[in-house]
Amino acid sequence: MIFKVASVDSLIIYFGDIIDEQIAKNVKKAYHCLQKQNIEGIVEIVPSYTSIFISFDILKFDFETIKELLQQRINLDLSDTFEEKIITIDVYYAQEVGFDLVDMSLKTNLNIDEIIEIHSNKLYDVYAIGFLPAFAYLANVDKRIAISRLSTPRKIIPKGSVAIADTQTAVYPQSSPGGWNIIGRTACELFDKKLEKLSLLNVGDKVKFNSISKEVFLSQGGII
Amino acid sequence: MSLEVINNPLFITIQDKGRYGYSHIGVTNSGVMDEYAYLFANKMLGNSLDTNILEIAFSNAIFKANENTQIAITGANCEFFINDILKECWQTFNIKKGDVIKIGKILDGNRVYLGVFGGFNIKKEFGSNSTTIKENLGGINGDKLKKGDVLPFKSYTAKYNKRLKKEFIPVYEDNLILRVILSYQHENFSKEEKKKFFSTIFRVTNEFNRMACKLSGESICCDINGIISEGISFGSIQIPNDGQPIVLLKDRQTIGGYPKIGSVLSIDCFKLSQAKANTKIKFEEISIEEGTRKVRDFYSSFS
Repeated sequence: MIFKVASVDSLIIYFGDIIDEQIAKNVKKAYHCLQKQNIEGIVEIVPSYTSIFISFDILKFDFETIKELLQQRINLDLSDTFEEKIITIDVYYAQEVGFDLVDMSLKTNLNIDEIIEIHSNKLYDVYAIGFLPAFAYLANVDKRIAISRLSTPRKIIPKGSVAIADTQTAVYPQSSPGGWNIIGRTACELFDKKLEKLSLLNVGDKVKFNSISKEVFLSQGGII
Repeated sequence: MSLEVINNPLFITIQDKGRYGYSHIGVTNSGVMDEYAYLFANKMLGNSLDTNILEIAFSNAIFKANENTQIAITGANCEFFINDILKECWQTFNIKKGDVIKIGKILDGNRVYLGVFGGFNIKKEFGSNSTTIKENLGGINGDKLKKGDVLPFKSYTAKYNKRLKKEFIPVYEDNLILRVILSYQHENFSKEEKKKFFSTIFRVTNEFNRMACKLSGESICCDINGIISEGISFGSIQIPNDGQPIVLLKDRQTIGGYPKIGSVLSIDCFKLSQAKANTKIKFEEISIEEGTRKVRDFYSSFS
């Protein structure tokens, strides 16, 4: 763990410097460890691929005192006792909602069914959440369908769009501008004020995409 | 018992100290851009210091009071009228039922703060009234105020009014020094680039909103192109590939992938939030110890 200053009232802990499953595992361990302890004076704990950002009450801590406390409190040697959640997201994959499927098919030399098969066949890890509330960065996408971002982002990507950018995949929790390749749409609510955790997905969860028909998508409240 | 929005104002949002504890799911902190003006407004009204307030950017806002109250007006220097009579800012005023409050032109600074005694009685979302439009959270329906919006408050008549001592009223100058703590990826900037960063006079551009303030000046070069996305702090300074610094403010994204050379002291970001386009900006290095002391002094002075 390397501790670095972020600002007067925040720091960042690095667990490595590449996107890697073992590093992500340590991030997840430390994150769960800190969440459980609910330390007074810590304001935000933001886990990401290789790091955890922590902001704190400046009247209670400074960089040195919080660093010392965190070094004592974070234990990476503990065995994985936290539950591993797998969340299934139903996706309607089709050209009418997957605007980039045809283009991806040309770029990858795969037909659309193969792209869908490859995307929905894998279990993804939630590495980070950001960009928008509940926008979860999932990885790793199979190299065969890892297509880079559009050169010109779209002004509006509809809510629920399922997308790929390089080895990452994600669902847009709300309509937003964006540059990812769109392959389908879900009726799932990712940012739901009724959920206890607000966000369907949290860092450390695993995600499976499940291909569904148009009929099922519409019956789930999906909008085209 | 309310304040009613009479015209269609350009950009007024309800804000408070911000929304904390949700960054891990991508919800930004939001909150007032200028805490100095915000805290003084609440202090003068005798409010709890986290009471909500109106943040008025750009000119022309008209309100009608439907009940007696006391208001405080702070922040940007503006043409401010009660029933068409010109008044001064950084004061409290008793408002009577039927009074019309008008903010005309903003003269110096960017953001005017208008608070009422006891705050507006609006339901909080995730612990805060702060409006973040891109997240559709807070305020009234997660949006800026529109004509016809009604902001309820508790009726009140104060015995006396307050006026802030002149020495505490900020002057928004054309030259601003922002104190910076070297942080994050500063080791990926060479000695020469750091020297350039701290000696260049940058200017505030028009790309300036509640999320961030983009500056223009000499291009600052980083050894690395991008980083793996990580949590970003209030005031952190991103250096994108074009080398033009971006200071991240209240509605910033929670994580980002550009290298950051350091972080502007929060208390200096409040001054930046009032800087007009073209304001000259110079960065000055400050140690973490000294910076911590300055920020603690700021908050202690209000408690």
